[in-house]
Amino acid sequence: MSADRHDPIEISERELRSMTTDLDDMHRATLPVMQEALAEWAELNHQVRTGIARVTPSRRGFLLGAGVALGGIALAACGSSSRSSSNTAATTTPTTVAGGGKLTGDLAVVALAAGLENLAAQTYGAGITAATAGKLGAVPPAVVDFAKTVQAQHVEHAAAWNAVLAGANQPKVTGVDKTVQDEVVAPAFAKVTDAAGLAALALELENVAAATYLEAISVVSAPAGIKTAATIEPVELQHAAILSFVLGKYPVPDTFTKMDGARPLTDVIA
Amino acid sequence: MGVDDMRVDEHAIGRLIEESHDLHHDAMHATRDSLREMVEVGRESGTEPDPDRLLGAQRLALLTRGIGGGRALAAAGVGGALLALMARPAFADQTADVQMLQTAASIEVLAVATYDAALKLPFAGSLPAAVQAFAKTTKQQHMDHMQAFNAAVRALGGKPQTAPDPVLLDVVNKAKPGLTGPGPLVDLAITLEMGAAETYVAFVTTLSDKSARDTTASIMGVEAQHVAVLNAVKALVGAGHPEYIALPPPLDKLPAAAGHVGFPNAFHPYDQARPAAEGAVT
Repeated sequence: MSADRHDPIEISERELRSMTTDLDDMHRATLPVMQEALAEWAELNHQVRTGIARVTPSRRGFLLGAGVALGGIALAACGSSSRSSSNTAATTTPTTVAGGGKLTGDLAVVALAAGLENLAAQTYGAGITAATAGKLGAVPPAVVDFAKTVQAQHVEHAAAWNAVLAGANQPKVTGVDKTVQDEVVAPAFAKVTDAAGLAALALELENVAAATYLEAISVVSAPAGIKTAATIEPVELQHAAILSFVLGKYPVPDTFTKMDGARPLTDVIA
Repeated sequence: MGVDDMRVDEHAIGRLIEESHDLHHDAMHATRDSLREMVEVGRESGTEPDPDRLLGAQRLALLTRGIGGGRALAAAGVGGALLALMARPAFADQTADVQMLQTAASIEVLAVATYDAALKLPFAGSLPAAVQAFAKTTKQQHMDHMQAFNAAVRALGGKPQTAPDPVLLDVVNKAKPGLTGPGPLVDLAITLEMGAAETYVAFVTTLSDKSARDTTASIMGVEAQHVAVLNAVKALVGAGHPEYIALPPPLDKLPAAAGHVGFPNAFHPYDQARPAAEGAVT
């Protein structure tokens, strides 16, 4: 055993950081995937505007309400659905965003997603701040590293959704899902006294986000919207898996992921 | 080690399939609604023109280009893909859906066989208890996924797939001689799980049948979670601390970087997705 091996943590850090470099490279390699999806939103919007492609609303479009909007173009919905009206986006109620504006259809789902991502990033940020200030007791380095990385990923997710809104000439969502913040996060965060409590709250948020994306995949009309949600939902579930592991819970508890807990479009984004 | 060796495993898979019908009925509950909808709506959707031309274009690209379908679509250009799509018969959408679901089932068949074989490796008993439990549970989850995909295939009038994905099978067979310790085994598992997750992300964006999409979407995140856990296991095994793989783990002893090795991508990739028809029943 070498001298270095007297400090196994140090060795682990070095090896893991080497792996982290590789993973960062992999992460950068996935960004073009998102750019491609966003380009498709813009391309579809352009085609609709110029008449190259006529987008016929699907059944999923109907679920989003009578006025399905994509890129600022209102589309007449038709068809029927066997889905329950209790589903997240199975509502004709538009999402209310900051300033009292309202979005309908796919863009309402986009705004909801951006609001949830902003809330997640904000919550992790608050957790990091509390940990740094010593308000959560001794917080293991791995937990702090987790929180910082996940916060950054949620910021990227929010940016992706806001790029869609910007492409549709809609204002970016800079606020959070205030409904979830007021009813879930704020009361729970006030009771957090340690890293485990923060992890439990984060797990709840990740599962809510994943469920919302799963529902979005089912109800969104635009293929690029489905693609965007499909590339984010598994990542939220990966966050949840590691959080479960940290909390001593089985990290892959469900054989099939669920829509239970998905947020409705009635949530206020502000 | 050749393909013939895996044929033996296929027989074992058949027995496991029968057993699982009784033992894991409840696990299917989450997909019943999707499958019920598929019976009602699936055929109808296959006889209607695709309501979204871009979605159809993506499907065409995935079917014809296979791996890297997303990039292939970008290279071909949306306009060219649309022209090709319009020349296709209406029922082709349903055929494409069946092929994708069969390919998904074939990936699950291979995953079940691989985890089953892994649990029988000479060193399997010396793996951390949490890893052994993970392998057993994950094998069962893949069994349930396989059943769900094949139920979806049946709902669309297709033939269930009970054979493994041929290309990934070759990957597994080539890896088998090197499975002499946990490191290579975890690497192989990550390869299979990533292949599954990326394929399902790609399929979710291309399936025309809503229920088929819902079923696939409910599975892709689970495979991604398997990847996250395996990435963490790989890091800790590679760092010489398999003893940290436990529920709960010794948080204060974990290296800081262990906090994020499980999820390297902010957006899940799909450029290595398997071609839609790779595992289709021929």
